[in-house]
Amino acid sequence: MIKDLLHSAPSLLNFGVYFGLAVLLLLAVLGFVTYGILSERKIMGFMQLRIGPNQIGGKWGLLQTVADVLKLLIKEDTIPKKADRPLYILAPVIAFAPAFMVLATLPFTDAFQFADIGVGLLYYVAISGISTIGIVTAGWASNNKYSLIGGMRAAAQMISYEIPLVMSLVGIVLLTGSLNLNDIVAAQEKVWFIFLQPIAFIVFMIASVAELNRIPFDLPEAESELVAGYHVEYSGFRWAFFMLSEYVYMFAMATLTTVLFLGGWNSIPFLDFIPGAIWFGLKFSAVFYILVWIRVTFPRIRADQLMEFGWKVLLPVALANIFLTAIIKEIVSLF
Amino acid sequence: MSVSGELIAFFGVALVAILGGVLLITLTKVVHMVIALVFTFLSIAGIYLLLSAEFVAIVQILIYSGAITIVMLFGIMLTKHRENDEPSKGGWRKFSLLLAIAGFAVAVYLGIYDLDIPVQPTALHEENTKQIGIELFSKYVIPFEVMSVLLLVALVGAIVLAKKDNEEGDRS
Repeated sequence: MIKDLLHSAPSLLNFGVYFGLAVLLLLAVLGFVTYGILSERKIMGFMQLRIGPNQIGGKWGLLQTVADVLKLLIKEDTIPKKADRPLYILAPVIAFAPAFMVLATLPFTDAFQFADIGVGLLYYVAISGISTIGIVTAGWASNNKYSLIGGMRAAAQMISYEIPLVMSLVGIVLLTGSLNLNDIVAAQEKVWFIFLQPIAFIVFMIASVAELNRIPFDLPEAESELVAGYHVEYSGFRWAFFMLSEYVYMFAMATLTTVLFLGGWNSIPFLDFIPGAIWFGLKFSAVFYILVWIRVTFPRIRADQLMEFGWKVLLPVALANIFLTAIIKEIVSLF
Repeated sequence: MSVSGELIAFFGVALVAILGGVLLITLTKVVHMVIALVFTFLSIAGIYLLLSAEFVAIVQILIYSGAITIVMLFGIMLTKHRENDEPSKGGWRKFSLLLAIAGFAVAVYLGIYDLDIPVQPTALHEENTKQIGIELFSKYVIPFEVMSVLLLVALVGAIVLAKKDNEEGDRS
């Protein structure tokens, strides 16, 4: 349906339909964020032998996040006197807008996807890099030393971990021969890339957790040393925007992991009577659960260890993986 | 020339690019300038996209808006600098500047207005990532390799410089 829409003549009606679909996706993502946070807190509680939210909205605390968001909405919006006012206001926008933009190319199922561009994989990496500028700007504009340190750490970390992230994907691109996410899913119809590229998968998981600024790598907002990092001075809905962009990125990253390594909406053999959307949902939930699991299990690493690990371990491993993939591909194609 | 979606998109993107450039010159705080520069970079990527050079557009965002800007921000934030540059003064200087700008504008207008670029149908817009790759590794292998050696030299040089600094710091 979307493909017909993209190829049809431009008109106001088509624009309206497309706009409506985008709003629908935004609402769906907001719904995911609401219940993603709740499930994350529940899983964390379960793993740490606590109960987790259980007061608002019945036994499972189903309305806990809704109440939290409401509280943020009606909270006073403070701007520090010495802050750089225009940048302080602009920073959450720069941080959030790319988070939603990256969703445009992600194929959820063969029918439910928005844009199908040739360089979809690079598009994700490039656009998500813009968010870093928002975070650095926020850290600088707050005029607070903790937030500045947080912003600096965010920039350093995102630059160093973006490289192994991209390098780990080169193996997949070599095997598929395309940067298009649809082609990548189509190439996994028989074997998922997690089995063909296990090293790449491990490197990708680690680098993606670092890109998401989640716990073993959450130095930009390490609350025990930097109070809250780059968003110390933010409150109310501006702060919510940073959190929102973080969770939308989590949504996008889980989707990307599913598409790249777990075969997207492809089913496992003999079970293809189950629709692709359900397969996608299952795999997506599994990736999300693993991300939460990592957060609960690992302690935060030190800043110097972070850099050393990224440059001295992840990058060489990713490069070796490219080398290995190229050699194996050539040997296989000989026969 | 009829008004099409492409034209509107081009004007929007071009406007942002020029605005970013103007703001880059007129703003007084260095960090504000870098943010204005980001908008220029992004809208230039938009123009590439309108010319259906998707790979170049994405790489523009990845390298310029992502990496280079952040390195610049790092440099600015971590070094000492005057927060505000003083505006230059002098009536004569401004007047001659105006004349020069007007002359440049006229020259560019005259140059562009009658410019005729012969258009020939090409297949460059189809799968241009693949085409770039094939060109790069068949026709332009030597320049590509020389570039990589150059970058390697720069990398090694940077490491050597950083290393030296560190040792002196340890001794003192």
